[in-house]
Amino acid sequence: MNGWMGKIIKIDLGSGRQEALPVSPETRRRFLGGRGLGVKLYTDLCPDPLDPFAAENALIFMTGPLTGTVMTSGRYQVISRSPLTGTICDSSSGGSFGAVLKAAGLDGLVITGRADRPVYLHVHDGGVEVRDASTMWGLNTQQTQKAIHGQTPAKTSVACIGPAGENLVPFAAIMNDRDRAAGRGGMGAVMGSKNLKAVAASGNRAVVIADPEAYQAMNARLDRAVDKNPVTGKSLQVLGTSVLVNVINAHGMFPTRNFRSGVFNDAEGISGEKIAESLLQRQSACYKCPIGCGRTTRTANRNGEGPEYESVWAFGAHLGVSDLSAITEANYACNELGLDTITMGSTIGCAMELHESGALAEKMLWGDAGRLAGWVADTAYRRAFGAELALGSKRLAAKYGRPELAMQVKGMEIPAYDPRGAQGMALSYATSSRGGCHMRGYMIMPEILGHPVFLDRFSTAGKPEIVALFQDIAAIVDSAVLCRFLQFAMGISTFSEMLRAVTGLDFSDEELLTAGRRICTLERLFNNRAGFTRADDTLPPRFLQEELQAGSSRHRRVRLDEMLDKYYSVRGWDAQGVPLAATLTELGL
Amino acid sequence: MPGKIAVKFYALLRQRLGMSAIEVDADGLTILELLRRVEKQAGRSFLDDLLDPEHLLLAGTIILVNGENVRLKQGLGTPLRGGDTVDLFSPAGGG
Ligand code: SF4
Repeated sequence: MNGWMGKIIKIDLGSGRQEALPVSPETRRRFLGGRGLGVKLYTDLCPDPLDPFAAENALIFMTGPLTGTVMTSGRYQVISRSPLTGTICDSSSGGSFGAVLKAAGLDGLVITGRADRPVYLHVHDGGVEVRDASTMWGLNTQQTQKAIHGQTPAKTSVACIGPAGENLVPFAAIMNDRDRAAGRGGMGAVMGSKNLKAVAASGNRAVVIADPEAYQAMNARLDRAVDKNPVTGKSLQVLGTSVLVNVINAHGMFPTRNFRSGVFNDAEGISGEKIAESLLQRQSACYKCPIGCGRTTRTANRNGEGPEYESVWAFGAHLGVSDLSAITEANYACNELGLDTITMGSTIGCAMELHESGALAEKMLWGDAGRLAGWVADTAYRRAFGAELALGSKRLAAKYGRPELAMQVKGMEIPAYDPRGAQGMALSYATSSRGGCHMRGYMIMPEILGHPVFLDRFSTAGKPEIVALFQDIAAIVDSAVLCRFLQFAMGISTFSEMLRAVTGLDFSDEELLTAGRRICTLERLFNNRAGFTRADDTLPPRFLQEELQAGSSRHRRVRLDEMLDKYYSVRGWDAQGVPLAATLTELGL
Repeated sequence: MPGKIAVKFYALLRQRLGMSAIEVDADGLTILELLRRVEKQAGRSFLDDLLDPEHLLLAGTIILVNGENVRLKQGLGTPLRGGDTVDLFSPAGGG
């Protein structure tokens, strides 16, 4: 088979039984791989929403037809039901784990059941071996990877959980290749609920390329395109993702103190420009990535990876903290303990506002940089006030009687763009299939950064159509599987060209866009069954009712009511956000 | 000071110029004229970081006048007044 390895294994950790899961060529073509095929297999296996921590719940590691081939193709996706949101969830991570999983002979791994003691899985030679991990339970993510490297062949790649996943913190991450994270939605906690400490992969099987000549010529051309593009060829390399700190702050939408302001006065001090001249040791890159947006950094006390833009914000402006070393060390702690930095920082900010408002006695003070790393550790181990922070912001704010102070959608915390500064981004947050996430439809690209065209960020006209299109394209890239930063240098026609060269199938742009729509609609169907309705496609009242007071987004609020009906009709969903029968027929669902 | 315009440099532009801000006497100039004057005053060329050879804004270049994107005004022909603040970002991205 070209592109795909042609093998997905389903393993039950309770009985140890494993079997090959047959997937028809037609299903592969319609859902590609990664997120799309993962969601398809997940919803076939668990059509009725299960408790995410139930033994029967499935957890799926999935690669795509492009994994292990073209540039940025080391990635993988993890799919399950999120313990944070209750929605369908897939989480993406870079590094090389995806490529190595294919080199080990598999397109994906479907895990059900619960082991009766801690185990890890070693994938090699097209099979899966269950190994004891009792001595690794309690280790942090770096210690775990080291321990597994001691028991496996050279060049083994490991995806694992830390204490946060073991302790079922609903925003626990899966970490691989040292510091790469499948961060959002708590896939690490689902792993922990199965007593599964890690999945390791090793091997050297090659992905078969359908048209090697076209493939080589295309790669040479794409290398030049990425190199020539000022964002992928230079800015991301030199300044990393945190270059956005000053960009977003200048637009008055850099969330500050739990989104009470869009302007952080100390933005310069935590910017990508500042990181480059202070903490940065060198850039780092995922498998076959010519871009290299990663940052290897050093503080006075420690060294590690990051922080990326979202983490700089979550532990910085969001909390009123401008101490770059403290932010960086909190980020290191999240990597080691296995936590999503966005939900972690956002929940701390929620607690700070709860305290300030008098609803929470625990002393959580804006700007308290010295306690960041301690709060992270307490959350991972659910000790002291960390046991409360481990709820995530939605449950925490509800518990203290102020649900409106949680800056979340469907239970997932909104990242580092105040939606009042970009109406399309607001609609994208409200309708994303996994809650308040920017990666489902990154409208900052056209609304702020001007890629591939520039759109007026305060206008709602045409936004429903573009948000749906961006969500569909994101679903394709997440299913192929490639890095979304390629989108700064290339569009849909390049992705279809890559798929043609690798798989030999005659994918057109249209077919791919339909696949993207099919995947988003399948996710919607699951969320409908899980009880999500139109009422959940909204934003915290702060964004709908309170105007920003300073900066270049001042006097703005989100006008969701101007966009939501239109969005549903573009999607072929009814007024309650339920896909119409005709839409399902058209998409073959 | 009346007549003065504060110009701030970000992203790679800052590294290229080796400075983060400059004050320019530019009352009544357009953005394009301002950029040329800044090049002269700073003693370094940088227009190719922001514009293509035809002097059109590169995809991804962000120029804000008092926080508002010039693409929503008159582009490079946007007129300036003393007291304005101009933010210049060479193309940047992240996520
Ligand atoms: S651009 Fe960054 S995240 Fe994407 S593949 Fe390259 S190094 Fe990894």
